[in-house]
Amino acid sequence: MSSRKIIKSKYFFEEDFVESLAEVPVEKTEAWASGAELKVVGKPTQRKDGYDKVSGSAQYTFDISLPKMAFAKTLRSPHPHARILNIDVSKAKKLPGVLEIITHQNTPKIPWYFGMSFLFDTTLRFEGDEVACVAAESEHIAEQALQLIRVEYEELPFTIEAGQAMSEAAPKIHDTNILRGRPDTYERGDIEKGFAEADVVLEETFTTQTAVHNTTEPHCSVVNWDGDRLTVWDSTQGIFSVRDGIADSLGIPASHVRVIKKYMGGGFGSKLAAGKYTVMAALLAKKIGRPVKIALDRKEMNLAVGNRPDSVQKLKIGAKKDGTLTAMVHESYGASGAYPSGAACSWPFRTIYQCPNLNTIDYSVYINAGPGRPMRAPGHVQGTFGMDSIIDDMAEKIGMDPLEFRLKNYAEIDQVGNAPYTSKRLHECYQQGAAAIGWYQKRRPAGSSPGKIKKGIGMASQIWWGGGGPPAYATLKLNRDGSATVIAGTQDLGTGTYTFIAQVAAEVLEIPLDNINVILGDTGVAPYGPSSGGSTTAPSISPAVRDAAEQMKTKLISGAAAILEVPERELSYRNAVISAITDSEKKLGISDVVRQMRERVLVTTGLRNANPEGYTINSFGAQFAEVEVDIDTGKIRLLKVVAAHDVGRILNPLTSDNQFHGGIIQGIGFALMEERIMDPMTGKTLTTNLHNYKVPTVMDTPTEIEVIIVSDSDPLISNTGVKGIGEPAHIPTAAAIANAVYNAIGVRMKSLPMTPDKILHALFG
Amino acid sequence: MKNFTYFQPENLKDAAKQLGNNWKDRLLIAGGTDLLGLMKHNLERPDVLINLKSIAGLEKIEYLPGKELRIGALTKITDIAEHPVIREKFTALAEAAGQVASPQLRNMGTIGGNICQRPRCWYYRGDFNCLRKGGDICFAVEGRNKFHCIIGGAPCFIVHPSDLAVALQALEAKLIIFSGKKSKSVAIKDFFVLPDADVYRENILKPNEIITEIHIPEPASGCQSGYLKFQEREVWDFATVSVGVSIKKNANFIETGLVVFGGVAPRPWIEQKISQALTGTILKENTISELTDICLQDAEPLEENKYKVVLAKNLLKNLLMRLNNI
Ligand SMILES: Cc1cc2nc3c(=O)[nH]c(=O)nc-3n(C[C@H](O)[C@H](O)[C@H](O)COP(=O)(O)OP(=O)(O)OC[C@H]3O[C@@H](n4cnc5c(N)ncnc54)[C@H](O)[C@@H]3O)c2cc1C
Ligand code: SF4
Repeated sequence: MSSRKIIKSKYFFEEDFVESLAEVPVEKTEAWASGAELKVVGKPTQRKDGYDKVSGSAQYTFDISLPKMAFAKTLRSPHPHARILNIDVSKAKKLPGVLEIITHQNTPKIPWYFGMSFLFDTTLRFEGDEVACVAAESEHIAEQALQLIRVEYEELPFTIEAGQAMSEAAPKIHDTNILRGRPDTYERGDIEKGFAEADVVLEETFTTQTAVHNTTEPHCSVVNWDGDRLTVWDSTQGIFSVRDGIADSLGIPASHVRVIKKYMGGGFGSKLAAGKYTVMAALLAKKIGRPVKIALDRKEMNLAVGNRPDSVQKLKIGAKKDGTLTAMVHESYGASGAYPSGAACSWPFRTIYQCPNLNTIDYSVYINAGPGRPMRAPGHVQGTFGMDSIIDDMAEKIGMDPLEFRLKNYAEIDQVGNAPYTSKRLHECYQQGAAAIGWYQKRRPAGSSPGKIKKGIGMASQIWWGGGGPPAYATLKLNRDGSATVIAGTQDLGTGTYTFIAQVAAEVLEIPLDNINVILGDTGVAPYGPSSGGSTTAPSISPAVRDAAEQMKTKLISGAAAILEVPERELSYRNAVISAITDSEKKLGISDVVRQMRERVLVTTGLRNANPEGYTINSFGAQFAEVEVDIDTGKIRLLKVVAAHDVGRILNPLTSDNQFHGGIIQGIGFALMEERIMDPMTGKTLTTNLHNYKVPTVMDTPTEIEVIIVSDSDPLISNTGVKGIGEPAHIPTAAAIANAVYNAIGVRMKSLPMTPDKILHALFG
Repeated sequence: MKNFTYFQPENLKDAAKQLGNNWKDRLLIAGGTDLLGLMKHNLERPDVLINLKSIAGLEKIEYLPGKELRIGALTKITDIAEHPVIREKFTALAEAAGQVASPQLRNMGTIGGNICQRPRCWYYRGDFNCLRKGGDICFAVEGRNKFHCIIGGAPCFIVHPSDLAVALQALEAKLIIFSGKKSKSVAIKDFFVLPDADVYRENILKPNEIITEIHIPEPASGCQSGYLKFQEREVWDFATVSVGVSIKKNANFIETGLVVFGGVAPRPWIEQKISQALTGTILKENTISELTDICLQDAEPLEENKYKVVLAKNLLKNLLMRLNNI
C-alpha cells in the first residue's frame, strides 16, 4: 500500500472555496504525459449506460417501486409571505386511502436553510414553501387530500424584486434583506488612478433573468425503513451530502442512512443537498411503517427547488487608446430568494482580463421567492454576459477588433490569487475558435448586414475552476476471472462517469472495457466521493481510479514475482499478462495470479492526489456564435456555435461532445427564452410549466455546433491531467450570442433573455 | 384531478342526452389534450366525461368538388395538415394545422377540440381567481401581459389560442352543431365571442351542443390562401401573433381579400379595413407596405405587448408577399 498523509485541501466547488482535511498519497503517480500514447483513455468510447438508457431498462429513482409503497404529496404555500394561523387536516384524514399527514403540529422542529427556518415553519416566505405532507395509497388520493386540508393564513406584505427589497421601506424577510447584511467586495489597485489614465470610459447596466434548472427527471425519492435504518433512493448529485443531511435532520447516525442513486435525469446544481421532500417522506414512512415515494411535479420544481438568481450589473470600465484596460468596476445585486444563496456574479470580471485597478461589489438579496441554488456555473453565466458585452463595446469605441482587444488584455497569471496557472491556453482557444467560425473573413461591422435577415458573429471568453481535489477515493477489486469492479462514492448525472471510470481502469490494467463493472451512487458500499458539482467529478475521481489501478498492477506483479520466482523488476506487464523479461516462457495471466493468491478477489483503494501548491487551477475557453436576426419578427436563430476550450485531458470525446452540446443548448435557452416570470401584484410565479417556462427544443438548436479542445493534458494537476467541462461548456454561450446579435443589428441588447419583443422594441421603439 | 364517470356513447343522440345544462358537471372529451390538462390543474372538475371518440363517423375528410370540404369534428390535426386536397385548395388550414403544438399533440388533438380549447392566459391556467373564472378582476391588466391581446379585450384580455380557428375564419368556414334533436349551421364569424359579450366562454356553444362537422366552401377560381405563425419557440408553442389570408386574384388585381389575425384578440380577428382595402389593388412591395400600415389602427396594447402591432403588420406583409410571389 502506498503511503498517505492528511493535508488541508481547498478547492472551488460551485459557489465558494471548500476547505477540508483530506487524505492524499504522499507521492502522486506520475501523470500521463501530454501527447502520451493511450489506448483507451481519450478514445471515443460508447457509454457504459447507453444500452440501459436506450432500451428503457435503466431504472431511475422515479422508476423505483417497492412492495406496499405509499405515495406522498406536499401542500405548499399559495402566498409569497404568510403566517400559518391554523391547519385543520381532519377532513383530509377521513378521505379513504389517506394514511398519514404531517405538518408543523405533529413533527419535531427540524432546522432548515442554515438554521434560519424549519422543515415546517409557521412563517412562509415564498409561494411553494412547505405546509403539510400527505401519504396515501396512491398519488391521486394524496393530491385530493391536499385540497381537503384547511389552512388559515395571515398574509404578510411581500417583496419579489431585489432592487426594491434592498430599500429601507421594503417588507423584511429576515432581520435584513441583504445576505449577511453586507455585500461581497473585492478590490485591487487604485481605481481612481485607473480611470484617470483611461482615454475612454464606458458605463452600462446589464440585467439577467431568474432561470430555473427544470431537469428532465423531477426531484424525487423513495424511502424505506428497516428497523432504525433508512434506505433512500434519491435523484441526487451528492449521495454523501444527502446521507449526512438526512441523518442530521432525523437525528440518527449517518451510518444508519444508505443513499442510492444509479441513473439520473439531470441536476444542474439543483440536486446537491438533501431535500425537504426526502425528509418528509422519511418521517411519513416511519409513521406508517411502509416505504414512501415522493416526486415533485413541474410546478413544484419551478417554485421550490432552486433557481439561478437574477442580476442587475452596473459596470464601468476604462481603457487607453491602445486598448490597455486601466480600470474596471462591477456593482451588482441579485435575488437569492427567501433563503441564503449566492447571487454574486463578479468572479469572471475579477480575473479573466488583465487590469491592475479593479473593484467589485455584489449584493445578494432576499426576496419572497423560491431560494436560489447553484445552477451550472453560479454567477459566471450572468457575469460573463455583462462583462463580455461591455468589453465588446469598449473594443468598438476604441476601434479595435474585439478579439485583438481581449488578446491585448490577456492575463498571464491569476490576478486574484497572484499565482501562476497550472495551464492556461486561452489564446489557442481564441485562435482556433476564430478560424473555425471564420472571424476574420465573415465578420462585418455592427449593423451593416443588409436585408431583413441580419447576420452577425460574436464571441465571449470563459473562465471557471473545475480542477477538483481530494478527498476522493476509488476501490478496485480484481476478480478471479480477470475482470475488475470499480466502486466509487461519486454519481453519474448522465455525464458519462460510469464510462470514464472504466476507461481509466482499462487503460492501466489493459483489460477490455466490457470486463470492468462500475458501481457508483451507493453510500452503503462505496468509499467517499465528492458531490458532482463545480465540474469536479472527473478531475477528482479519475486520478483516484488510476491510483487504485496502478496499485493493483503493482500487487499483481508482486504476486506473479512470488509465483514465478522472478524478481519484480524483471517482470513486465502487457495486455494483462505478466512475463519474465528474460524468459518469455515464464508468464501468468492476471486471472492466474488471483487464483493462486487465494484471496479470490484482490482489493486496492486509490486516492486523489493533493493539488500542486502555489498554483491556481482554472479551465478556459472561448465560444463563437453566428446568428441570424429577423428584424420583421425579432427572432434570433443560431446558425453555428464554435466552442474552443482548454479543459485539460479529454477522457472520452463522445461524452465530452455531449456535455458541450448540452451546455450550449442550455446557454441558448438562457440567452433567448428561459425566464421565470412573476406577477407583481400577488407575488406568485406565472411560469410553472414547460409551456410558459420555455426550454429550447431540438428545433431551436443551431444547425452546427463545433467543439474544439485545444488542451491535451494538465499534468501539474493530477495523474490524469483532467479539468472539468460541465460548466465551462455553458458559461460563455449567452454572452457570445449577445455579442453576435449586436454585430447583426447594431443595437446592444442589455437584458436577457433576448426575446423577440425586446428585439422589436429595441429596433422600432 | 377529481374522480369522474366515463361515458362512451355509440351515437350522437346518446352523447347529447348525457350532456346537461351547465358547464360544470358534464363535459365532452375528444383527444383530451386540452381537457385533461385543465382537469389535472382543477380548472375543470366534471362529474361525467362523455367520450366523442366512441361515436363512429365523426372522423372524416370529405371533399365535394365545386361545393365544399367537410371535416368531421373528431379529425386529427395531423390528418388535416397532411391531406393533399387541403394542402392544395385550403392551404391556410393545412399550414395552420402543420404548425399546431408538436407532432404528438397533433396526432391526438382534434379539430373540434382545437377550436373549443380554453384560453392559455397564465393567470387563467394558474391559481388566480380571475374574472373569467368567476372572480372580480383581470390580473393581466396590471400584471404581466406580454402575451395578451391588443384589441377586442376588456374586461378580459385573453387571446384565442387556436391556430385552426384563424385559418378557418380566413376560409369562411361553417360549423355544424348538434343539440340532441337538430343540427344547425353557424358561420364561424358568429361562433366566437368577445369578453364584453361573454366573459366566461369564448364562443356561443351551449353546454348541450356538440360540433359535428366543419364545412368550408370551395374556393372560387383564382383564390389563394395562406397562414403565417410566429412563435417564440420553434415548436410546441402557441402563436405570439399569426395571420391567415385568403385572396381572390384576377390577373394582377385583387378582387377580394380576407385578413384574419391570431394572437391579437380574444377571437380570430377579422381586419375589415384591410380586407376592404385589398379590393382592387395590385400587389407590389410598396403597396403592400402602405396597406399593412393601416391595419390594427384601433389596437390598444397593454404595458408589455406593443410589439404585437409591429409583429402583426410584418407578418401580414410577409404573407401577402409570399402569396404574390414577391
Ligand atoms: C403544450 C401544448 C401546446 C399547444 N400548442 C398549440 C398551438 O400551437 N396551436 C393550437 O392551435 N393549439 C395548441 N394546443 C392546443 C391543442 O391543439 C388542443 O389541445 C387540441 O387541439 C384540442 O383537441 P382535443 O381533441 O384534444 O380536445 P379536448 O382536450 O378533448 O377538448 C377540448 C375542449 O373542447 C371540447 N370539445 C372537444 N370536441 C368537441 C366537439 N366536437 N364539440 C364540442 N366541444 C368539443 C371539450 O369539451 C373541451 O372543453 C397546444 C396544447 C398543448 C397542451
Ligand atoms: S385575461 Fe382573462 S383569463 Fe386572463 S386574467 Fe384577465 S380575466 Fe382572467
